[in-house]
Amino acid sequence: MNSGWLESTILRTASFLAPGARRAAWLEEWRAELWYVPRDRAARFCLGAFRDALWVRQSDSCPESPLESPASCLAFLAVIAVVSLVLAASLLTPLRLRTALWRLSPRDLPAGCMAMLVYTGVFLPVTRMVMGQAATHGCPAPWRSKLRRMLFMAAKVALIQPVMLCGLFLMILVGPVLPFAPCAIPAAWILAFRWLIADQRQRCPVCLRRLTDPIRLGAPSRTFLDWYGADSMCLRGHGLLHAPEISTSYSGSRQWVRLDASWSVLFSETAGARHP
Amino acid sequence: MADGPSLSHASAMILQAIQNGHIYGYTVMEVTGLPSGTIYPALRRLEREQLIRSQGERESVAHAEQRPPRKYYKLTRSGEAALEASRRRYPLIAQLASKQEVRDT
Repeated sequence: MNSGWLESTILRTASFLAPGARRAAWLEEWRAELWYVPRDRAARFCLGAFRDALWVRQSDSCPESPLESPASCLAFLAVIAVVSLVLAASLLTPLRLRTALWRLSPRDLPAGCMAMLVYTGVFLPVTRMVMGQAATHGCPAPWRSKLRRMLFMAAKVALIQPVMLCGLFLMILVGPVLPFAPCAIPAAWILAFRWLIADQRQRCPVCLRRLTDPIRLGAPSRTFLDWYGADSMCLRGHGLLHAPEISTSYSGSRQWVRLDASWSVLFSETAGARHP
Repeated sequence: MADGPSLSHASAMILQAIQNGHIYGYTVMEVTGLPSGTIYPALRRLEREQLIRSQGERESVAHAEQRPPRKYYKLTRSGEAALEASRRRYPLIAQLASKQEVRDT
């Protein structure tokens, strides 16, 4: 048996080279193999894990979407927010030249982002109402999960503010040239809010990863009073999301079905074998 | 699917080791003398090319013996055919693996 800290550290470090969706299964496989390696050869054995992890990454034909995990989604939005802030800062000079009302400096950009929250406070609830009810849960989610979901949503909303501010500056700049710009920018904001809400609803309430592998069930042209729609699943095995394609009296909204720990064996295989 | 002549020497050695009953990654590594950084990616590639197939050990068996469950490998029919073809190309492979087996016993 072998469980030295050096070997564990090597394997843990190498695992970051493996694709995120297969990382846990990959690490488990190497740890299992390490158990059988004599102690004096263990560190050398573990060094091979780097090459294997790289091979797994290179052979992974379908890389993980930047929006799949909550951390990568926030990182992606953070990059867009930084780019938007840089662009907004560069638009300040032409704005000053175009209109005397705009005497903003780069220091005012955070305050500008805060001002955008006013628009968000108006548009986001309206968009949410228009998009209908969120998924219903068979049993109430624990408060920690609810809190994580709320914090994740709040972070996404915060990171989208610089993008909105940048859009506002563009609207003011190109508005006199392009007459449709004053309508296009608010429309883009609404689309952004729609994406925020749809993305939130398409995530597992437990781990906040995006639900994947939607499977369509039923045939709309053949069924009468029968359920049809699509099922998406959480690759970590936390549950399934039933999304009906028409709302009926018995199945009006999306429904989250929590799976207990007895399903975890199936899903650990699925997470590992997702990308052929 | 890879055919016999395109099989590398290392791949042929791995297939031979599996056929000789060294069905776990580490035992294949021991019997072939190849490093772990070669063996494990090679096993994955051979599995992708459907020359071998892997299966997880039953958890109940492993837990009863107080050890983690391992992945083991078996040759597929294509793998057997590819190994047969590669034996003509690398005639010493069968001999090398069998010598190692004798040393193990």
